[in-house]
Amino acid sequence: MGENTSQGQVIVVTSGKGGVGKTTTVANVSTSLARMGHKVVVMDLDIGLKKLDLILGLENRVIYDIIQVIEGECTLKQALVKDKRFPELYMLPAAQTRNKDDIKPEQVQEICKQLRPDFDYIFIDCPAGIEQGFRNAIAAAERAIVITNPEVSAVRDADRIIGMLESANFTDIQLVVNRIRPDMVKRGDMLSIEDLMEHLCINLIGVVPEDKNVVISTNKGEPIVLSEHSLAATAFNNISRRLTGEEVDFLTLEDGTFWDKLKNRLFPSR
Amino acid sequence: MLDFLKKLFSGDEVSSREQANNRLRLVLTHDRIGSSPQLMELLQEEIIEVIARHVDIDGKPEVKFITEGKHTALDINIRLKGR
Repeated sequence: MGENTSQGQVIVVTSGKGGVGKTTTVANVSTSLARMGHKVVVMDLDIGLKKLDLILGLENRVIYDIIQVIEGECTLKQALVKDKRFPELYMLPAAQTRNKDDIKPEQVQEICKQLRPDFDYIFIDCPAGIEQGFRNAIAAAERAIVITNPEVSAVRDADRIIGMLESANFTDIQLVVNRIRPDMVKRGDMLSIEDLMEHLCINLIGVVPEDKNVVISTNKGEPIVLSEHSLAATAFNNISRRLTGEEVDFLTLEDGTFWDKLKNRLFPSR
Repeated sequence: MLDFLKKLFSGDEVSSREQANNRLRLVLTHDRIGSSPQLMELLQEEIIEVIARHVDIDGKPEVKFITEGKHTALDINIRLKGR
């Protein structure tokens, strides 16, 4: 820490609607970046409804939380939970017994200011909704990732969030479409990536297919990017690579089913 | 089962994906400019009032939004009575 003179970037991950995969995306993209060797910290701002510790499998290692940092009960360094599996990954936990109004945007900015010199990427896991929690989460960020599902209510909320980010002068807003089912799109029973791009008009940074393995990895507290043969893992890894500026082709989900893809990946000669 | 058969034999049914797209186009346009279906009716009434003061209108004017990407325009179609 401290050797790098360049400042890390603060990225907020948001969606408006709950349950679309914000925390899963934060956990997987941050794990993937840390595995590539970047110094990453994830900040859970869902005060009162924390989940990031559980998704990352770090729930038993939490000692202090962000509110205790703000109220001076501990230092920022003491509150950071180190991920034993990845020496470059840290988490700043949310408080479970408090609420969103116990933090102010300036306090989030101050914490990010202290983190920037020591990290390459600072991820903020934004709570659902457009109230105080959202305002806190976007206050320190210069980059935003909006997560949506191919489903009308999630798209409507994403559009509202994009509008609010634009009013807050965000110029770097990118879209992740999570839980898409190419077979349903093909049958005309689900919105396609092209449909979502037409409605939301922002750049696409990731497409994550529906994948049962996500549930299994969540059960275990192991981010899915750690498993080899999962389409979702590849998709999350690709998002991380695109975040660093690398150009990565999108998975061709439309061609064939998941099993065809898997077969192609296992037996590339075919 | 009946639904399935209906679906199988009716070729002209709009897919649920297309329905979702149509509903989203409308709702996002209204969300973005803070309007409502009621506003469209009001616009229609007031436009008739103004135009009808000067010329004869045939039928009811069509007032709708057309959206392309981030840009939205008001599309007003008024048929006039000829002699």
